Order: sequence, then structure tokens, then C-alpha cells
Amino acid sequence: MVDLSQYLPILLFLFIALGLSVAFVFLPMGVSRLTGAHQPTAEKLSEYECGFPAFEDSRGQFDVRFYLVAILFIVFDLEAAFLFPWAVSLDLTGWAGWTTMMIFLAELAVGLAYAWKVGALEWE
Amino acid sequence: MTLQVVAFYLFASIVIASAVMVILARNPVHSVLWLILAFFNAAGLMVLLHAEFIAMLVVIVYVGAVAVLFLFVVMMLDIDFASLRAGFVKNFPLGIAVALVLLAELVLGIGAYRAGALNLGAAEGTAAPIPMTSNIESLGAVLYSEYLFLFEAAGIVLLVAMIGAIVLTHRDLRSPRAHQDIGKQVRRNPDEATIMTQPAVGKGVDL
Repeated sequence: MVDLSQYLPILLFLFIALGLSVAFVFLPMGVSRLTGAHQPTAEKLSEYECGFPAFEDSRGQFDVRFYLVAILFIVFDLEAAFLFPWAVSLDLTGWAGWTTMMIFLAELAVGLAYAWKVGALEWE
Repeated sequence: MTLQVVAFYLFASIVIASAVMVILARNPVHSVLWLILAFFNAAGLMVLLHAEFIAMLVVIVYVGAVAVLFLFVVMMLDIDFASLRAGFVKNFPLGIAVALVLLAELVLGIGAYRAGALNLGAAEGTAAPIPMTSNIESLGAVLYSEYLFLFEAAGIVLLVAMIGAIVLTHRDLRSPRAHQDIGKQVRRNPDEATIMTQPAVGKGVDL
């Protein structure tokens, strides 16, 4: 079984984050209740868009180019994730391990060069 | 000991509850957010299993990248919720059929589980964990020596995914007129770019 006491700092961070987020949400609500007049009516609580009822859903469609950025991010994110075990186990894998990672990096460098060449990294 | 048990049941119950909420949430964006909660708790379960590197990967890759990708897909689709629910009665028999197939698989799976555990043996030889090394170090030791070709194949798969995404979604919006060539700008020098003239009074300048 794993010794969980080493994760105590993370637990403390979680508690602090929870406390702060609760405070940021409920403190302004409480302060405004106590200091201002609180008399809600149906008209006051309805959404307001220059006097009209809302035309459409607030959820707008994204450009497909965001997806390309996300895919490129995920590929290089995985590349970075593969580097961690490689870096700590180099004395066990030796030159073979070093060479295999260099070939892997070269494979993805080809992809990066292609993305750069066709202009996938540019927004406009 | 009891702390581990409490942590396990906490993580496991949150994983199951948030997985149920992924399916039940009406709004697909909320589904993705519940999915992120499920991923985080799955990472907690991995920590309990001593697989710290896998836990880190789950947080980095699944929460950091895959969930964002799902969110983008959800935001890119033009989903009309009313029309999605419209075909409920028409598709009901098909849904029941799929559910029955899944139920049969579940029953088979539980039956196989009840039949007794498979004896996979203990890890020995090259598969035995190297003593006095961390989880991530032993993972690296096999990944970059024994499973080297699979690792390179994973690199090829990533390359194909990248090129495929570019080919499918990229539209070259760079018009030749608006495109900025930085090298050309840097190479420009005053001798070629400017002309010094001294026109006489009353005469124009020939260009």
C-alpha cells in the first residue's frame, strides 16, 4: 500500500482552494444581501438583451482552427510526457535508449516542420 | 491502512457518480466537466495503486488535452437539442437491442469473473521490477529498451495524427499580398530602397 502521508500538502492545497472558491462565490452574495435592498421580481431576474427576448443560445460555435491548435498541443504534450521516464532511466537504457528518443524526436520534428511549412501555426 | 480504504472508496464512488452524470447531464458542456472530475478521481485511484507516473499522465494528457479537445468538439458542433430528442420513439428498439447486447456482455463478464482468477504468475526475469527504482524509472527502463520499436511506432502514429489533423482542418488563409516575408524585410538596405535626387527648380522628378 502506498504511504498517503506524502500527499498531505496536496490535500491542504485542495482545502485552501475549496475555501477560497467558496468565499469568492458566497462572500459577495452575502455582502450584497446585507448592504443592499433585496427585492427581486420576475422582470428584474429575466435576462436582458437591449429590451428583446434573447435571440439565440449563448453558446456560440467555435472556429475549427481551435481544434487544430488543440491537436498540435496534444501531440507535443505527449512528446513531453515521454521525455520524463526517458530522462530518469537513461543510465539503465544507455545509448540505445538515447538513440531511440532522438529518432522519436526527429519523427515529431518532421511533423513540426510540415505544420510550419503549410502555415498551420499561423492564425491569419 | 484504513486511510487507503477510505480514499479508495471516496475516489471510486466519485468516479462512478461523475461517470453517471456524464451520461445524464442535459448540456454536453456539463458532461465534459463531469468527465474532467472523473479523470481527476481516476488519477487518484492510480496514485493508490502506486502508479504515480500513470496518475500524472492521466492529469496531463486526459485532463489537460483530451478534455479540452472534447470541449472544442462540443463547442464546434451545432447541436439542436430539440431535434436530438425527437427520434426517441423511432430509435427506441435499436437502443433496446444495443442495451441487451451490453447486458449479455456484462453477464458473460461477471460469469468469467466468478469462474476464478487467471493465474498470470509473478513477474520474473526481465519483466521483474528493478529493485530500488521508482515507478517512472522502471517504466522508462523497459519502454526505451525492450519496447523500443513500439515506442517508435507510437511516434509515427502521433505524426500521422498531426498531419491528418492539418490536412483535414487547415485552410491556407495567407494571401500572397498580405503575407509578411520577414527575411525580405531584413535584407532591405537603404542603397536599394531609396533614391537621392536633386531636381532643378521647376522640373519634376523622374522615377
